[in-house]
Amino acid sequence: MAAQGWSFRMTPIRKLLILLATICVGVCIFRLATGLGLVTNLNDEWPWGLWIGFDVLTGVALAGGGYFTAIVVHVLHRHQYHIIARSAMLTSLLGYLLVMAGLFLDIGQWFNFWRPFVSWGHTSVLFEVFWCVSCYTTVQVLEFGEIFTERVGKKWHTIFKNAMPVLMIVGIIFPTLHQSSLGGLYLIAVDKLYPLWWSTLIPYFFLISSFFVGPAMICVESTLAGNAYKHKVPVEVLRGLAKIGGWFMVLYLALKLFDLSNRNVWDLVFAGNLESTMFLIELLFGVIIPILIVFSGMSKSRSGLFIYGLLVSGGVILNRMNVVFTGMSGKTGGSYFPSIWEWSVSIGLVAIGVLVYCFVVENFRILEHEEHHA
Amino acid sequence: MAKGVLVDLTKCIGCGSCTVACKLWNDKKFSVEEPTVGPAAIAKLTANNWTVVQHNEIKKDNETVWRFAKKQCLHCQDPACASACFAKALQKTKEGPVIYYPHLCVGCRYCMIACPFNVPKYEWDKAFPLVSKCQMCSTKVDKGEAPACVSVCPAGVFQFGEREKLLQEAKSIIAKDINYVKDIYGEQQAGGTSWLYISDVPFEQLGFRTDLGTVPLSTYSHNFLKYTPVVAVSWGIILTGLYHYTKRRNTISEENKNVKL
Amino acid sequence: MENRSAKPQSVSRRGFLKMLGGAGLAGVAANITGCSTDQAGGKGWMPQQYQVASSWPVQVRGRVPIDPTNPSITRDDKKCILCGQCIEACEKVQTVMGYYELPIKDDITCVNCGQCTLWCPTAAITEVDHTEKVFKALENKDLHVVVQTAPATRVALGEEFGLPAGSVVEGKQVAALKKLGFAGVFDTNFTADLTIMEEGSELVARVTGDLKKPLPQFTSCSPGWVKFCEYYYPDLLEHMSSAKSPQQMMGAVVKSYYAKQKGIDPQKIYSVSIMPCTAKKYECQRPEMNSAGEKIGKPDMMDVDAVLTTRELARMIKKKGIDFTQLADEKYDSMLGEGTGAAVIFGTTGGVMEAAVRSAYFLITKQNPPDALLTLTPVRGLTGVKEAALEIPGVGPVRVAVCSGLSNARKILDEVREDLKAGNPLRYHFIEFMSCPGGCIGGGGQPRTSLPPSDAVRQARLDSLYTMDAKMYKKRLSHENQEVLDIYKNFFEHPMSHLAEELLHTEYTDRGKQLTAKKKA
Repeated sequence: MAAQGWSFRMTPIRKLLILLATICVGVCIFRLATGLGLVTNLNDEWPWGLWIGFDVLTGVALAGGGYFTAIVVHVLHRHQYHIIARSAMLTSLLGYLLVMAGLFLDIGQWFNFWRPFVSWGHTSVLFEVFWCVSCYTTVQVLEFGEIFTERVGKKWHTIFKNAMPVLMIVGIIFPTLHQSSLGGLYLIAVDKLYPLWWSTLIPYFFLISSFFVGPAMICVESTLAGNAYKHKVPVEVLRGLAKIGGWFMVLYLALKLFDLSNRNVWDLVFAGNLESTMFLIELLFGVIIPILIVFSGMSKSRSGLFIYGLLVSGGVILNRMNVVFTGMSGKTGGSYFPSIWEWSVSIGLVAIGVLVYCFVVENFRILEHEEHHA
Repeated sequence: MAKGVLVDLTKCIGCGSCTVACKLWNDKKFSVEEPTVGPAAIAKLTANNWTVVQHNEIKKDNETVWRFAKKQCLHCQDPACASACFAKALQKTKEGPVIYYPHLCVGCRYCMIACPFNVPKYEWDKAFPLVSKCQMCSTKVDKGEAPACVSVCPAGVFQFGEREKLLQEAKSIIAKDINYVKDIYGEQQAGGTSWLYISDVPFEQLGFRTDLGTVPLSTYSHNFLKYTPVVAVSWGIILTGLYHYTKRRNTISEENKNVKL
Repeated sequence: MENRSAKPQSVSRRGFLKMLGGAGLAGVAANITGCSTDQAGGKGWMPQQYQVASSWPVQVRGRVPIDPTNPSITRDDKKCILCGQCIEACEKVQTVMGYYELPIKDDITCVNCGQCTLWCPTAAITEVDHTEKVFKALENKDLHVVVQTAPATRVALGEEFGLPAGSVVEGKQVAALKKLGFAGVFDTNFTADLTIMEEGSELVARVTGDLKKPLPQFTSCSPGWVKFCEYYYPDLLEHMSSAKSPQQMMGAVVKSYYAKQKGIDPQKIYSVSIMPCTAKKYECQRPEMNSAGEKIGKPDMMDVDAVLTTRELARMIKKKGIDFTQLADEKYDSMLGEGTGAAVIFGTTGGVMEAAVRSAYFLITKQNPPDALLTLTPVRGLTGVKEAALEIPGVGPVRVAVCSGLSNARKILDEVREDLKAGNPLRYHFIEFMSCPGGCIGGGGQPRTSLPPSDAVRQARLDSLYTMDAKMYKKRLSHENQEVLDIYKNFFEHPMSHLAEELLHTEYTDRGKQLTAKKKA
């Protein structure tokens, strides 16, 4: 296998993705040269928009599959889930790289991105996010080194293989910290974020949701990749993962209910305004219905799990969007809708991710990994 | 020790001298599109306007009265923006002003999210944009001089001095004169601010947020961040333990299987 | 990041290349990566005329408030250097700013006099520009655009074109206006004479007791003064003559009498006036200044549509490339174009008084006044407060006072108020008030030249007006103005007739509730 040349299959969909990616790169260069005013619709009322809301906050959450898998497979040694480990962690790595790209595009002084490494604003939650995301991405690149050296620079492979346990554990600590601190970013917005979302527990909500969105994403991703690569992950494996996720969703729901009672904001839940509607949609379709699916017979079918995955992922996306947009709109005033260029960058980044995923899957041992460990 | 400014809004005549002084001292651009005096919908703080004077028509004792409210950074005692900045580009000086160091800024705009008063603004039209906000003329304040806007007022709206003394002064003014609202804006809000306001009409009608708590916002972040080292270390230990435990368990069960076979 | 340091005035070629090489890459790189460790903001005082930031200037005193909706004056923040000259003018000369208690009520107190536009050293404060509006009207073929010129502009407009202060340019001004395309060029002197007839008759009626209104009577031609009285002395408004100012009389007459005589639809008339005054811009917008429209059931039609200051007219002339100094003199159009010497001296302090006395003498005695009354020296000159006592047969001594500049008005008004309160005998029968020091010749809309620090320019303009009265105008008595006599014959019948009351008289507004007046700044 190693002797083979690099391969990349061309399909009409991939051509479209390449087009989207090219547009995205063009817009990115233009943005870096001209600033934010021309490209984005951001304004003084809405300093954070689609790039932070979707590319960063949502991107990091959806890439939570990586550390979920690391815990389940590599720390708890549940070997039956090995089959999805590599693809989940690849998705996570790509997710984080795209998050870094999104962040880099969003900061005004992009050439100054390294500053917090030397100028420590340690009182900022963002400082923790910054360090953890940077370190975790590095760790993930190193983890990928194990796969990479199977094909390129083989003499280093043993070193990477031996380093894996340490990398895995470090690679769980960092995301645990920053998944929660991404929520913690909004602690300081106590007077801005709508009380349905603002809570001293928001870091824990972000953490737990990033954990249970992992198996959901794996369900979605393995269905899609399975169709594309004729590589079917057994339903039982997926169901097992989904059930782990399910238990955490129950925990999440319980914590939510406790939090609402504890802060005495139940009246806001049923206030009938935009915020309450979005909150209920988020909780009903993103948490409650998926819990019913996963603990019922519906999760025995591949399509049931796919729907479960879509609902949970959608719910988490909606939750992050609600925090960034719906919850902030009341106090900030002004209006914001992402410009076509912001959309094209967000979409283009996803396209790049899909393309790279396809390339890696076709050139490294990602999907047919199970016999490797067997 | 820390300086402050006491603003008596009842004395403001809306001439906007302060806004011009600010631009002259800080070399800020004048723009017809961004007026510094006018109704709140038009006269807004922007990257070019570090201070504005907002015109409000207010119902008072069944009469409409005009009241002007000068707005600028309030220079919190415990500023949310500075605590939110992960590169220390915003810092509270011991003299009072909360100042911004452009060379440290990464441009993440978290300060804008953090500020409960929506003060920091961004240079959206610049290729390499920076955050922009009132510096309280800190170079002047360091020398014991009043900020530019304060020194120019022809109507006697401002008093510049030690914040603690000004607070006492404000209290005695509103205690003596029944026309004043019995509240000093900036005494408590978000942990207190260097700028203090007194007024004869309710502050919320002048566009001041009165729904803020009295706890410095950095407290919320701090109460979360303080657990980071503990969590990191203990979580590491737990994970390492689990790693070895489950590995060993698996090995034993494998061995048992082999033995049985 | 802007470079705040001084830029070299001139660079040699070598220096330039060196600068490119050195500063080019390194500078940009350093700038982008933020090598400067400065904090943001304040490098020092940086008005545009300085090249480097300096320390706090000696004189920074702020400025007067100007409502963005002020119909008369506006300010360009870019030019303002906060020198405080406007405050000087407003507070010391006009006693407006600072003469009200804080907090303010629902108004930015301003009498629209425009003295601040003269004092402002950077021309940051100017009149609200209506030249474009007037150019548009002139281009509109559907409109019959007429114009009137105030007495005082003809001795000041020349200064804008390099002529010495006080040059009489009456004929050139008419010629220029005709060149600009105005269909009718009328003289506010005509309505000044008309004002004298109305106001003089009113005075006589007050003196004889036919009119149940108190003495002294106050003149009402200066809209800045009128607003001042409405703000600070609303209790004395009954003393204000109900006669409109000459500008507003002309506006009403143009859209009624003139329209009727000429057979023009008054709604098709666009009436412009050239005034030495910024307050006139405000006066023509006062809601009650629509009598001609009211009369024909079109209350939206204002009597005067646009007011231009002397400065704005000069700009229009320059914009159209008219060589003003070379223009041949032309005459005002008839029907509303005749004026007497009594009218032309309206443009200076004491002029209204002198003109009124000349005609009042006639109205009372049915004889023309003696020569002594034609040169009423005590009320002439730039002194702020002037007094005179005249012997008019049949009435006895008539005591008059003249003051210009509102700080002077305040002194007289306080006396009047005090006398009324104490029940003292009548100190004056008739008082002339002019908002601006020196009267209209020193008006807020006049060429800026060397005003206001020296009185020389004001004196030159004033002298010219008296010269015109004494030497240039054929008639010196308002009641001898033939066109005025015609308008009474053909239209109004007699002074203070019902129609005259409708079109030529007005009412005043108590503005006392818009501020809490204060005795001292």
